Amino acid sequence: MRRLSLTFLLSLIGLGIFAQDDLMNILNQNTPSETNYTTATFKSTRIMNGHSIERMPSGQLDVRISHRFGTLNSGGYNFFGLDQSNIHLGLEYGITNWLMIGVGRSEFEKTFDGFAKFSILRQSTGAKEMPVSVSVLTSVALKTLKFPDQTRTNYYTSRLAYVGQVLVARKINEIFSVQLTPSYVHRNLVATELDPNDIWALGAGARLKVTKRISLNGEYYAIANPKTYLSQQIYNPLSVGFDIETGGHVFQLFFTNSLGMTEKQFIGGTTGQWKKGDIHFGFNISRVFTLKKHKKAPNY
Amino acid sequence: MKRLFISLAIITIFSFFIVSCYYDNEEALYPSLSNSCDTTNVTYSGTIVPILNNNCLGCHSAAATGGSILLTTYDEVVARAPRITGSMKQLSGFSAMPKGGGKVSSCSITQWDIWVRKGMLNN
Repeated sequence: MRRLSLTFLLSLIGLGIFAQDDLMNILNQNTPSETNYTTATFKSTRIMNGHSIERMPSGQLDVRISHRFGTLNSGGYNFFGLDQSNIHLGLEYGITNWLMIGVGRSEFEKTFDGFAKFSILRQSTGAKEMPVSVSVLTSVALKTLKFPDQTRTNYYTSRLAYVGQVLVARKINEIFSVQLTPSYVHRNLVATELDPNDIWALGAGARLKVTKRISLNGEYYAIANPKTYLSQQIYNPLSVGFDIETGGHVFQLFFTNSLGMTEKQFIGGTTGQWKKGDIHFGFNISRVFTLKKHKKAPNY
Repeated sequence: MKRLFISLAIITIFSFFIVSCYYDNEEALYPSLSNSCDTTNVTYSGTIVPILNNNCLGCHSAAATGGSILLTTYDEVVARAPRITGSMKQLSGFSAMPKGGGKVSSCSITQWDIWVRKGMLNN
């Protein structure tokens, strides 16, 4: 009797499992498979100096204020560089969910800059599998510092420089993201015949989430052109620091050997050397305003 | 359709900048000027004033007196000459100038040194 009831019980369980399988099948057939797009690969639209894969969603305005102070090795008299500051102001706007534009002005060489960032691919799982996110960045820099020699014929085009970057990023897991940034910089006018008009570089950046609101970031650009025999000794820019998110603001605090804050300035214009202590403390503050309300949640 | 339109607009705008792409360097573009740093006829009015105009007076004139330092008159320049030398050469212990704009050209620094060595004449 006991044996019989056990068999009955077992067969019931078996039936139950079978029925469950069936239900799952039905569920799978009826729900359309979805694509899960990866979000928040980085906290901000910049890793530090350079752009990250992130962009402003449509209708959102990012007001950015950035500072780079003097060098740490300038000594206690100059309060380790804090007496001297360089500022960059930026207004950046998401036109659509795949296109972002921005304008800015740097104190460094009195430069105006403008850029457009296009999202080409988005990292996703589910129905559409995409291992990486890819964006393209183009920017123009206009240096308005007075020409050292006013008597010669100076050209407006001599003030311009162009930048093209391909941003390839992957959020490996919830706490770690990486990005590779092949970059090209063209300067219309350089000082001597030895200086290249075109500069090629490969950037690499990473983010490690420490807590929910704080992440540790690193960024490096390796310049492919030979860096000796130029009229000015240049170095590869390296930056290390933290992102801190507080409500609507993102604070980025870091140390870098670059004084410039736009691509044209820090790729091929970094004259500081970490080894010698030419390290600048810097910060970016980003505040996002929603200018255009969405009727429905944006599709990402 | 809207997407296509915006793309075309952006590409058009950026192409305005791209067509003006040059491969210039100052040596080749200004051959008569680049290799000749005039170190013989260095005068206050002819050499030093233009250097100050181009590099210093943006911040150190009556319109914008940075650090309450004026460099508009001969007397003011003479009084501050040692500090100008240090700032311009960006020596340690001096506030590096010009702020946020690289360095004064080596030719200008050489000319400044010559003018100081000759006794800072008001010529």
